[in-house]
Amino acid sequence: MSRRNAIEIVTAALLAAVVALVLPRVAELFVLINATVFVSMAILALSLALIWGFGGILCFGQTAFFGLGGYAYAVAALNLGDSTYAVPIALAVPAVAALALGYFMFYGRISDVYIGAITLTVSLILFNFANSTAGDQWHIGEAPLGGFNGIPSTPQLNIPGDPDATLSPQAIFVVAVVCLASCYILSRLVLASQFGRIVVAIRENEARAELLGYDARRYKLGIFTLGGLIGGLAGVLFANCVFVSPTMFSLFYSGQVIIWVMVGGVGTLFGPILGAMLLQGLTTWAGTLPGINPNAVLGVILMLAVLLMPMGLLPGATAVLGGLRRGTAP
Amino acid sequence: MSALLEARDVVMRFGGVAAVDGVRIAVEQGELRGLIGPNGAGKSTLFKCLTGQLRPTAGRILLRGKDITGLPSFAVARLGVGIKTQVPSLFDGLSVQEGLMIALRRQHGERAARLLARAALERLGIADLADRSVGLLAHGQRQLVELAMVVAPEPDLILLDEPTAGMSLEETRRAAEVIRDLNRRHTIVVVEHDMQFIRSIARSVTVLHQGRVLVEDEVSRVLADPRVRDVYLGRQVAA
Repeated sequence: MSRRNAIEIVTAALLAAVVALVLPRVAELFVLINATVFVSMAILALSLALIWGFGGILCFGQTAFFGLGGYAYAVAALNLGDSTYAVPIALAVPAVAALALGYFMFYGRISDVYIGAITLTVSLILFNFANSTAGDQWHIGEAPLGGFNGIPSTPQLNIPGDPDATLSPQAIFVVAVVCLASCYILSRLVLASQFGRIVVAIRENEARAELLGYDARRYKLGIFTLGGLIGGLAGVLFANCVFVSPTMFSLFYSGQVIIWVMVGGVGTLFGPILGAMLLQGLTTWAGTLPGINPNAVLGVILMLAVLLMPMGLLPGATAVLGGLRRGTAP
Repeated sequence: MSALLEARDVVMRFGGVAAVDGVRIAVEQGELRGLIGPNGAGKSTLFKCLTGQLRPTAGRILLRGKDITGLPSFAVARLGVGIKTQVPSLFDGLSVQEGLMIALRRQHGERAARLLARAALERLGIADLADRSVGLLAHGQRQLVELAMVVAPEPDLILLDEPTAGMSLEETRRAAEVIRDLNRRHTIVVVEHDMQFIRSIARSVTVLHQGRVLVEDEVSRVLADPRVRDVYLGRQVAA
């Protein structure tokens, strides 16, 4: 592993530790729950950053995995009465879904544009399906699916093996931050591995990678499945601070994730995390202003970002800083 | 002794057009074969069939006597075939060194790959480009970088599609030297339409015309053949 990589990993771990230790002590409950939502969204952005920014696969329906993770968690936890095994189930379901969907897309040699269309369609199908599950006849085991109301009784995480010891919102925030840091570090390690380098090479030129003897389909499927799993984890955390509902699959979220990644910087990991946090903060704040539509604000920001910083926030800022440093150097 | 690479009655049809129409060639181990012909003769299509980028409509392709027809190109590459495409196909966002490491790491460990990458770059005289970003290089340099990626893993058979397209005279001269040198260890098939270049490297030449083999012979005889001149000048060939 390169030195730079090691520094980035240590920095991420330290930053996460500071946030996880300090924020629950100083922030009000409402702020903390909101912060947990932000963190879960940052994980969702990270999952797309991996698939799109490094795998070169523009997945328009990353929320499919987000929602599947959430629903699988809620259904499993309600049935088992314990979150211990609900979490691994909730990670497996979106990962298997990504594996199956990816298998047909990549082994069928579907081209980029259609991958965008197919993934978007899958998330919309799930959205419509989840929306139409109102009524008593729609349930999986003990868990009612609840149609457009979702599952308001989504259980909170408990200490593994002890169903009565549910985690407080403070503890769930800490769990979320630890998850974000772990996913970031995992992604860094994956990208530094031989597998990750080939994934990036395939993004750069799939034909060349194949002519060098690499089966591009396998690598794309690998990174897509990993992205699905991380997206599912984001869904589990979201389910723990809000609750599971069809909006998790919605176009509103799938569109937003793409904006976060784009504004943060496609091809970086930290950029999309930053983009998710900043833009959510901004839209939340804009929502409190009288007479302003937060979606319009988001749209304006997207346009400005694309015009002024087409590379995204993080690469753009790095370039500006680098330029300043060179400019002032003797 | 069977040929290293063999095409048996290969046909490639696009709609009603047969771009390759029953080609039969055999390349022996150690050979340096030129595959020439005017524009539209079917050279590149045949090349794509040989490398698994296209699946021929009919006919078979054999490597060391083994049928490889229709294998995907990564599988063909794994059998020890190095392929250079007409338009340089490179990893633009990576550095030259990183690209070479991708080419080598499939078969070699980190340390061995580093040494082999160094050696390949030196062989092509572009060791000074190692840390440059591939996307920022000039066209001729890109051709050499791609050549380095293709030869670095030491494939038995190297297939080159117009390796000197867009190169300066000096770069072409160096490429010819490199290809002759490579031929000491590898069997090479070069697709070209630059006759001058073919004359300077190849010993045996196959001329394609309208999807068929027109002549196949030793290079000087082929170039002296009036039929070959005629097809290059666009005249009808007397059958």
